[in-house]
Amino acid sequence: MTVAEVTERAPARGARRSVSTAIAQPRDLQRTFRLVLATVWLLDAVLQIQPFMFTRGSNGFSGMLNASAQGNPRWIAHTITWNVSIIYHHPVLTNTPFALIQFLIGFGIVGKRTTKPALALSIVWALAVWWFGEGAGGIFHGAATPFGGGPGGVLFYAVLAVLLWPSEGSNTPFVATRTVGVSTARAIWAGMWAVLALLSVVGAGRSPQALRDLVAGLNNGSQPGWLAHIDRSAESLFLHHGATTAILLAVVCLIVALGVFLPPQITQATLVLAIVVFAIIWVAVQNFGGILAGGATDPNSGPLVILLALIYWPPTITRATSSAIASESAVLATDA
Amino acid sequence: MTTTPPWLYYLFATLMLAVAAYDIVLLLLSGARRRLSGWDVEISHVFMGMSMSGMFVAQWAFGRNAMWELIFAVLLIWFLVRSIQSVQEFGLHVPHWMIHAVMNFAMLLMYWYPIGSSSSGSMSMSVSSPSTAARVDPGLAFLLASTVLASAVFTLASPNKGATHHGTHFRVYAMTGVAGSEPSDSNLGEGPGSGGDVDRVVAAPWLEDMSHIVMCVAMGFMLILML
Repeated sequence: MTVAEVTERAPARGARRSVSTAIAQPRDLQRTFRLVLATVWLLDAVLQIQPFMFTRGSNGFSGMLNASAQGNPRWIAHTITWNVSIIYHHPVLTNTPFALIQFLIGFGIVGKRTTKPALALSIVWALAVWWFGEGAGGIFHGAATPFGGGPGGVLFYAVLAVLLWPSEGSNTPFVATRTVGVSTARAIWAGMWAVLALLSVVGAGRSPQALRDLVAGLNNGSQPGWLAHIDRSAESLFLHHGATTAILLAVVCLIVALGVFLPPQITQATLVLAIVVFAIIWVAVQNFGGILAGGATDPNSGPLVILLALIYWPPTITRATSSAIASESAVLATDA
Repeated sequence: MTTTPPWLYYLFATLMLAVAAYDIVLLLLSGARRRLSGWDVEISHVFMGMSMSGMFVAQWAFGRNAMWELIFAVLLIWFLVRSIQSVQEFGLHVPHWMIHAVMNFAMLLMYWYPIGSSSSGSMSMSVSSPSTAARVDPGLAFLLASTVLASAVFTLASPNKGATHHGTHFRVYAMTGVAGSEPSDSNLGEGPGSGGDVDRVVAAPWLEDMSHIVMCVAMGFMLILML
């Protein structure tokens, strides 16, 4: 619930004063979720101005991007290395606008008039970063596994921007339907989780060694001890049961994909499953996107998948909400 | 070669000084108008602004670390006590003082775990090399950074402008989230807008919120640098 202060004109003095009459309003869940998305964008913007981002060479931003070209088909790699060469020669001139764009998106999503342009910009930016920054998520060379953020963590920003596009309407059966409608929202959800299920069991996604290397590659010695300990357990699990774990993840993804077509209680159970699984993946495999090691540009897919799951959560009308709506109606009726 | 742009740190340091200067003016206005709320947040912002400007640009730092640690420890305790009082009075809720307690805690961490010097030479707080200096748990720094950045976003979005300084403690709202008729702790008639033109301009609620947002972004950046 939120409180809206009512400003009324005092008839005697003609001066505007804020009175403490408060009207309970149902929380605009879509806007709340947009603000969470804006927070993630703001975090990305701040990560973008870390010192190494302005650094030239293999230890800098261009070096990081260059790595994403590896393994990709030649025509994709060529576009990435072309972009890298520009950043390599002008790290400050290129990274400064990159960071500014993300600040604009983060703060733009908050403003009511700027929400739509900011979300539109975020979609364009996300697709550009997916291509030039994440090497198309590795899907063209079989390296895209949901464990590592496949098909590209930044793509989830774009999906969220579409589903959270401002619109009036009902949050039932869930917030994601408000803009695109029930059928499309369900199709997007099912399609997304089907892709995740597929990527879990194709290419490097089911290779124990590749999965183990995925975790090991994130540990550059800067991780906190507790996270390094979790990493070692994850590496061991992948090395010994990598294929099984991948198949298990695929099954989970398929169950979650079907969840939105089932009754609300079952939908909620499958969403909890999705949230728990991706929370574990975010911590134990993605290592918070590598942020804790001090060399990341975003938190990877974990928190975004969780946010997506939340916007598909079937809201429950509580007694408090009902009474608040009744209270609001009473106040409005009195004012009228 | 200087790769880290020094201007970025000078920019943040200047913004921090601007926030500190703005909150000094607010404090003076609060004193002149005998406003009862918001002064603790303004004092906190003044110290945080001056302290962080010295963290961003070494040459601008002043005062011993122990002095700053004492200041932020006192402020942390103050805001924690206010938060507890608020919960006792209004029931279970997240008091607006909590974010200020978190920010003062973050300031303490910045002094306890100095950031390693960057290649630009702009950063201060480095009394030892990064390899030998004690390091804050990155998980905690990340959590705090996410919290202050979320505070920046939700403050900007809040319909209750000026709430970062004065709070929105409607008794009934705090307890049930339902409409109430109790005055907020900003004290009607004493808050921004009740004074003259200067008061209306300088103590505009949106400007107060803006100072908080700038502080949050700068602090979020500083915490990320601690990773």
